[in-house]
Amino acid sequence: MRFRSQLANASIFSKLTASLSSLGKVCWMRLEEGFIRFTIIPDQGTQVWAQLPVDSIFEEDSYILESNTGVINLEVPIGSLHRALRSAVAAKSTNLRLTKKGNVPLLALTIRATSWTTGTNALGIPDINNTAEQSSTTDTNTNTNTNTNSTRPSGPRERETVITQEIPVKVLHETAVEGLHQPQCRDPDVNILLPSLIQLKSISERFTKLATESKSTTSSSSTTGSSSSSSPKLELSANMHGSLRMTIGTDAFRISSTWTDLVNPSLDPGQLGQGELEQLPSERMRGLAADDEAAWARVRIDGKDWSRILSVGRLNPRVVASFINETALVLYVFLPGSWNERDSCLTYYINSYAVE
Amino acid sequence: MTSLSFSLAPKAIYQLHDALTCLAKFDDNVAIEAELDLLRLSVLNLTKTAYSAFVFEADSFFESYSFGRGRGGSSSRATRPDKFSCQVLIKALLSAFKGKTSGRDKDTSVERCEVELQEDLDETECRLVIRLICGLGVIKLYKLTYEPVHVQHAIFDRSKARNEWSIDPKYLKEITDHFGPSAEQLDIYSEHGKAVFTSFTTKSSDGKEILRQPIHTSVAIDKRDFDYYLVEDHLHVAIHMKDFKAAIAHAETANAMITARFTRPCRPLQFAYDFEGIKSEFTLMTRGESSGDDAPDSSRAAPAQLSARQTPAPVQISQRSTTSETRQMPPPRSRSIRPLTGTSTRASQSNIETQQPPPSIEFDSLFVPADDDRQWDVPNEEDEGQAEDELGWDATGDQASMGPGLRDIEPKMTQPTAEEEEMGIPPTQRMSQLHGLGLFD
Repeated sequence: MRFRSQLANASIFSKLTASLSSLGKVCWMRLEEGFIRFTIIPDQGTQVWAQLPVDSIFEEDSYILESNTGVINLEVPIGSLHRALRSAVAAKSTNLRLTKKGNVPLLALTIRATSWTTGTNALGIPDINNTAEQSSTTDTNTNTNTNTNSTRPSGPRERETVITQEIPVKVLHETAVEGLHQPQCRDPDVNILLPSLIQLKSISERFTKLATESKSTTSSSSTTGSSSSSSPKLELSANMHGSLRMTIGTDAFRISSTWTDLVNPSLDPGQLGQGELEQLPSERMRGLAADDEAAWARVRIDGKDWSRILSVGRLNPRVVASFINETALVLYVFLPGSWNERDSCLTYYINSYAVE
Repeated sequence: MTSLSFSLAPKAIYQLHDALTCLAKFDDNVAIEAELDLLRLSVLNLTKTAYSAFVFEADSFFESYSFGRGRGGSSSRATRPDKFSCQVLIKALLSAFKGKTSGRDKDTSVERCEVELQEDLDETECRLVIRLICGLGVIKLYKLTYEPVHVQHAIFDRSKARNEWSIDPKYLKEITDHFGPSAEQLDIYSEHGKAVFTSFTTKSSDGKEILRQPIHTSVAIDKRDFDYYLVEDHLHVAIHMKDFKAAIAHAETANAMITARFTRPCRPLQFAYDFEGIKSEFTLMTRGESSGDDAPDSSRAAPAQLSARQTPAPVQISQRSTTSETRQMPPPRSRSIRPLTGTSTRASQSNIETQQPPPSIEFDSLFVPADDDRQWDVPNEEDEGQAEDELGWDATGDQASMGPGLRDIEPKMTQPTAEEEEMGIPPTQRMSQLHGLGLFD
């Protein structure tokens, strides 16, 4: 079993791991010829299934994958991987490989970072001043260290730092992962392109905070057991006329934000026949009038979970939200870049809460 | 009777505060020693493996400095007649010397600080009095209690240190930026023209807990990055990461070239730097072995303690079963069992975890691109205050605009929110609760 590759885009890899690590501690990383998949299945909460072409993260020419099955499955502490990758973001070159230390399999990052020294002075004058300044306040005992300065060239030069980060991982056998499948759900009622995620994130966090605060004061005597279930739920709804609404309500107030003129992406007609296309629930919803309440598909999701999901916005993606009324919200997160968008997609499966 | 008084300019107050902040990372109490020409603040940590001292020179650091011992001085309190020593809680001093006033009340920022020791054996109250003279006639007065103490100093003979390097602390800071928050120890050695800094954590490697194991990070920098480098190759010395971080963090704020001197593993290593009338030194006990690399997990001796100038009552605070030979630091010629990946006591781990600040804040200096990636992080309670301003609902950020109702209840709610956070709110419903819906099964 062998895997090694040069990183082509450490920044994307780092941001991807950052977004994933907000949803779970452990990630199933599946390396294949052509694709890399990242899957997070927490005990509870949102699942993420991500698939990226190799060249979105790695340099394809240096991508070496050898395994009996043609696939390597790893269980990776995604937070640690993210931490390690932070060193690589500004680096000149980064190599990732699967290796072993004793009995512990490791993902080893070798990072070469370069920077320029400022030099003690740009003109290359020997730094006597510096030496004199320091030694004036020191006694003879400590002068020895500063005297050596003058022998050193003081102009700017390129310096290189080599960083190795070794992340312990688990290698999973194919049998361990063959039972894991991407969730299946019925055709969505509404597909809509989400607005700027940073705006969405800050507003929903604001909503969640307000609701949390008002709840904790109105029911100050609530026990700790009930506090978990009383974590505020955001109601997200959208229609096929380009509108998205986010609402939060408590006993004391109800606030909502509505976005209009968003895009309802249409499905690829090449994949479905004309007859099938018309049968889709989303087409039926498109037929309803915009001011009809029935034209809106709703889901209720946990405010904090939503905030974690939206952290994927750091990748600057385009996100299509598929609403399955009162049931679930599926986000298709397409990364920007030159590669084929259909090949690189993060899919988030978020369950809707029942109305309290 | 001792008389000690000195006054400080604002800049010196900041420097004193910086030094105290650094010392606070080693222990809760600082020993203050006054001599005729200097004032020394020092801390020896609980396990006696790290000693940190700042010496402030009387004529260059202080605006004025006077120290005298009258006859009939407390002979019981000090061993030398020309010296006074006492011990003060660092936290108390820190709050007093917090000279940096926030920008908005510039008028009342500190202009001068006068410190006076009020020791009168006839009185029950002996106090260290700190008077901060601020603008507009504001005077802040602190009276701190102190207790007498026998100060222990770590001995370090610089002339016998065979290995020495000097470097700009910013390079060392860059190195620590790569280390994970849970890294406990730092191994330093050199080979092939490079100096290699490796973080490791002495933790039992339980087979099931592979994913919980810390990241192993090593950073190699060119010897040319050092101003001076004369170190035996392949000589591994290991010190506590938090001691290292404490030293370089202060050296960086002081913008002083830091020098490390050491002889061999299991002997002390000293970081030292001088600037503007202040001499700083950190004497740290090292671990390591003279030869070989990864030794298998095996019994480990506790880190030897620093030897003290005054023979201390050797109170063994360390929970480890320290034998008498390690206590007085023998010549550790052939201690072959100093593995880099051994086990450690639970006590020392939890100790480090609690003392280290949450690291995620620190690591943003060099490796985060300009488009602040942190805005995407899940908010935590402390950050939310700032987030309000960023959102731009209300440009003034004025509480009043939120309406009196919300404002009135705000103070009460912080408590329950914090509690909820600790309880860990499950993010969503359990998957099992949703079986009836026929989704995602």
